[in-house]
Amino acid sequence: MLATTTHVLRIHPEKCTGCLRCELACSYMQTGTFQPAKSVIRVSPFEGHTSYAPYTCTQCAEGWCMTACPVGAITINAAGAKDVLDDTCVGCKLCTIACPYGTMFYDPDTRKAFKCNLCGGAPACAEACPTAAITYEATATADWLGEFARERTARVLAGAR
Amino acid sequence: MATRHLIIGGGTAGMNAIRTIREEEGERSEIALVSAETPYSRMVLPYYLDRSIAESHVFTATPRVLADWGVKPHVGRRATALDTRANVCTLDDGTRLEYDDCLIATGSSAVRAPVPGADGRGVHSFWTLDEARAVLAEIAPGSHVVMVGAGFIAFTILNSILALGAKLTIVEVAPRILPRMVDDAGARLVEDWLTKHGVAIRTGAKLTRIEDAKGRKRLRFAAGGDLVCDVVIMATGIKTNLEWLKGSGVTVNRGVVVDDRLRSSVPNVYAAGDIAEGRDLITGEPAVHAIEPTAQEHGRVVGANMAGKDVHYRGSLIVNIVEVCHLDVASFGAWDDERAEIASGVKPDRPAYRKLLWRGDRLTGAIILGPSSDIWTTNDVGMLKGLVQSGVSLARFKAHLKRNPFDVKPVFIASKTTSALLPETILGRPSKAPGNTPVAV
Repeated sequence: MLATTTHVLRIHPEKCTGCLRCELACSYMQTGTFQPAKSVIRVSPFEGHTSYAPYTCTQCAEGWCMTACPVGAITINAAGAKDVLDDTCVGCKLCTIACPYGTMFYDPDTRKAFKCNLCGGAPACAEACPTAAITYEATATADWLGEFARERTARVLAGAR
Repeated sequence: MATRHLIIGGGTAGMNAIRTIREEEGERSEIALVSAETPYSRMVLPYYLDRSIAESHVFTATPRVLADWGVKPHVGRRATALDTRANVCTLDDGTRLEYDDCLIATGSSAVRAPVPGADGRGVHSFWTLDEARAVLAEIAPGSHVVMVGAGFIAFTILNSILALGAKLTIVEVAPRILPRMVDDAGARLVEDWLTKHGVAIRTGAKLTRIEDAKGRKRLRFAAGGDLVCDVVIMATGIKTNLEWLKGSGVTVNRGVVVDDRLRSSVPNVYAAGDIAEGRDLITGEPAVHAIEPTAQEHGRVVGANMAGKDVHYRGSLIVNIVEVCHLDVASFGAWDDERAEIASGVKPDRPAYRKLLWRGDRLTGAIILGPSSDIWTTNDVGMLKGLVQSGVSLARFKAHLKRNPFDVKPVFIASKTTSALLPETILGRPSKAPGNTPVAV
């Protein structure tokens, strides 16, 4: 059986300070510009900005983006990450609604889909994180944020505005 | 003797079935493909129409690729009859193909409004590659194009027509646009947006005939107000290609009725894609979903089962997305469920619109609309699909989403929807990359 990936991005949300260096590093590595809007790792605030956590592609086993692509423009790269082949992608956006995790994006400037490709095996976000809230490890992918977020959505749950 | 698989139809369902057979089989089987056209992706025809890709880009399997996959092609042929007692399929040139099991994946085709002149010169459908070629050959900068029908197919080529420098008028017999993709409120926002972007829209317009007018075309309407134009595109719906199955013994309702392994009423005959009537993931009811993702999932499930696996399919989810003039419009699941509880929010100036549909604590459908460049549109569109697909209980978050249907992301994360989704695969194993199909030895 084909392993989807050997190393994954492991998120340690309790270590995140919300500094957004991961987004800057990611966008620079992926697009050559320091532009968080083009980052494929995105930091979310919880509990009214008292805590933060970065969220990105889990490199899931199904690869909903990859199987949905009508022209085979999403493949598995050497790092085991689902990766968009820019020359093949036509920009139809089907992958953005096939991915149930919300980690497949569309760039209106290039008119292509884009996603986390683990920077081909040396993820810039993990390198940039000053508190080791993002590590690149040989482990199974998991829901790194669920429990953390569940504990930190009391205001949302209580209905406070 | 090797198992003989027959794939009838070279669209998304058929090609996914072939690839999956090759991925899953233990012993090398024989695969024959009947396809009226060289296999291509209908999804990318709009990008061929606006010339952003070359024609060669649309093909999903060239003769060379089919040879690599060890497929015996009958391309340019149509199946005309299926004898499920003798296990023989007859083609339009009289060829008889025997099979051990077969896949019916003959899809659907475009239908035109039944008015005089609908088949005349300068009137086109936009469904097949040949039709795309014909439309592309006729549109020039400054051409006036009239599109009859304001459904999903029409909207997929709207940008392309404008990109070619044409002037576009859309006429629709219904009182509103996009009747099968968004609700009334969403449709109004899209209509206003398009009008602002220079697209003329005429709803409630009953076309009565199309005439030649000195080298141009004249469209006449029941309520008057002729339109004169250069090119007419009929985007007036599709129909399932079922006719050839008469007498086959395969049970047909709105489509070929299939079970959760995508088998028809005849055990060695499968159906997939537009022509199959399979389970809807949300309602649990039989439904025909003429959309690309259903064809892809159906095709893979059939391929695995034909290769001897025992894959059960949970059902298909309706998902649609279209971008018109940089406005994204998407809908998921049972977005038109009249009995659902609804939470919606609108920001008319952006514009942005969300509609969340609930059955109890489960999100069962959603509509999302907003500018493609707006983070509120794009940041969580897939998460809405994930919430609908997983059916996780959102009891603790429902009140929040009812107040602010735009704030989906914290709810998605805190509801541990990721945990629910991670074990899910269509075939019970990690998917393989598209280039990794085993080739002939």
